[in-house]
Amino acid sequence: MRRRKVCFVSYGSTEYSRKSEASVLTHYADAIRQALERAGISKKEIQGLSITTQASPDFSPHVAEQLGLELDWVLNGDYGGAGGVMSVRRAADAIEAGHIDLAVLVGGNSFDRSTPHQRPLEYQRANYVDVYGYGGPNSLMALIQRLHMERFGTTLEQLGRIAIAQRENALNNPQALFRQPMTMKDYLESRMISDPIRLFDCVMPCSGAECVVLASEEKARSITDKLVYLVTDAEKVHYQVAEMIPDKTTFGIKVVGERLFREVRREEIDLFEIYDDYPIAVLIQIEDLGYCAKGEGGRFVEGHDLTWHGDFPVNTGGGQLSVGQAGLAGGFLHIVEALRQLRGEAEGHQVKKAERALVTGIGWLNYGRNLGTTAGLIMERRQ
Amino acid sequence: MAEATRTARSLPKINPVDRPYWEGAAAGRLLLQRCNRCGKVQFFPRPVCVECFGGDLAWIQAKGSGTIHSFTWVRVPRNPAFKDETPICYVNVILDEGVIMESRLVGAGCERVKLGDRVRVAFQETSSPEIKLPVFELA
Ligand SMILES: [Zn+2]
Repeated sequence: MRRRKVCFVSYGSTEYSRKSEASVLTHYADAIRQALERAGISKKEIQGLSITTQASPDFSPHVAEQLGLELDWVLNGDYGGAGGVMSVRRAADAIEAGHIDLAVLVGGNSFDRSTPHQRPLEYQRANYVDVYGYGGPNSLMALIQRLHMERFGTTLEQLGRIAIAQRENALNNPQALFRQPMTMKDYLESRMISDPIRLFDCVMPCSGAECVVLASEEKARSITDKLVYLVTDAEKVHYQVAEMIPDKTTFGIKVVGERLFREVRREEIDLFEIYDDYPIAVLIQIEDLGYCAKGEGGRFVEGHDLTWHGDFPVNTGGGQLSVGQAGLAGGFLHIVEALRQLRGEAEGHQVKKAERALVTGIGWLNYGRNLGTTAGLIMERRQ
Repeated sequence: MAEATRTARSLPKINPVDRPYWEGAAAGRLLLQRCNRCGKVQFFPRPVCVECFGGDLAWIQAKGSGTIHSFTWVRVPRNPAFKDETPICYVNVILDEGVIMESRLVGAGCERVKLGDRVRVAFQETSSPEIKLPVFELA
């Protein structure tokens, strides 16, 4: 669906760190404060708040109480890695419906295992997965990657190109936890985690938070002259869930892409912020979005330069693979980087022509399939 | 030792929906749900038919045979209690009834596993006398 008048007006990112004494609430507050200060928005202008977290406390009114926010709209946008994009969709709905004019959306985590997140309804994972000594998301992606390699001849070197390009993108991003160049040898020789997934295929869990501020067009004009519109957005939850033999090498992003490209042509996108928990996930999404045929992703990444100065810029700040994944801030990292690019504020890694960006989010590991939640959006800079 | 109990191997937490499945496994039978309205066979056990949303689900005994759809060697299990068993051959099996099942491959020759290999179910003892885990062996 084409959006009429919803804009991104600001963003904030905390520093990322491996361990942190600060609670997730402090990370939220830091990201929100930065976003407010960047755009000169006062705390009292916040009408809506969405949180996305894997760590307690994760009850949105509780977070609002802690931060001293009186609100007209709240959301706990806990949809795994798709939580960022899906929260934007819901906040945009509320803005278009006239319920609110300005919402602050935040995601983050503090790497602190003392407050475990409870998922009581997730019995299929407890009963049918964990009992076998499962290796978590690394193993799920390994099953998908093996299928893709066997079916389509995708090679480790092709997947390595994605990780290496993203590392190059991270070199000039002060937020990134990994800022030393990666060679193909480094990639191919990294420690095996769940064959064929190796250490440098996996994101680094860390602490931090990301924030974006969304507003009605009218409100946006009073805040900034760097207007970035939300053009269109879509989601698909539990693609193929009733298929007992699903195609694990195609994600719901296929349906999301078809919907997005009804509004904007594929060729009109200048940069791609594609949710990256693993290189294979990026490669499959490039196929599902229709930039090449299914199975041609390996050859596509060989034929294109994925760095910020290349012809097909992907995850221009390094993505989660090089920046780190602060829990469900991961779903926002890509939106914030797109916003930085479209506002011309990506110092040291600014894409030359950055008018239109595509952002995706994927998350939630479901049984015997691939991903439960998938979503995407297109944003555009207008004068 | 407190340390040992904290990192015990996980066991299923049996619930009303999947109790027949676990009772079947304990008796050496692999059970699947089949919808009495539309005939769909499904796995894992659910309270409803995922095809027609019917609530009348019967249990059928699977043949116990299938093929390897994909596999991975788990070297870093999520639960550290499994560490001394690594690498664990974690598999996706397509049962001959047409459902995908996640499990573990055990027994002779599993280090040579490849996609498309035929497998047979086996039932592994656990620390609980009431629970046996369906696993697979190369056929
Ligand atoms: Zn049915």
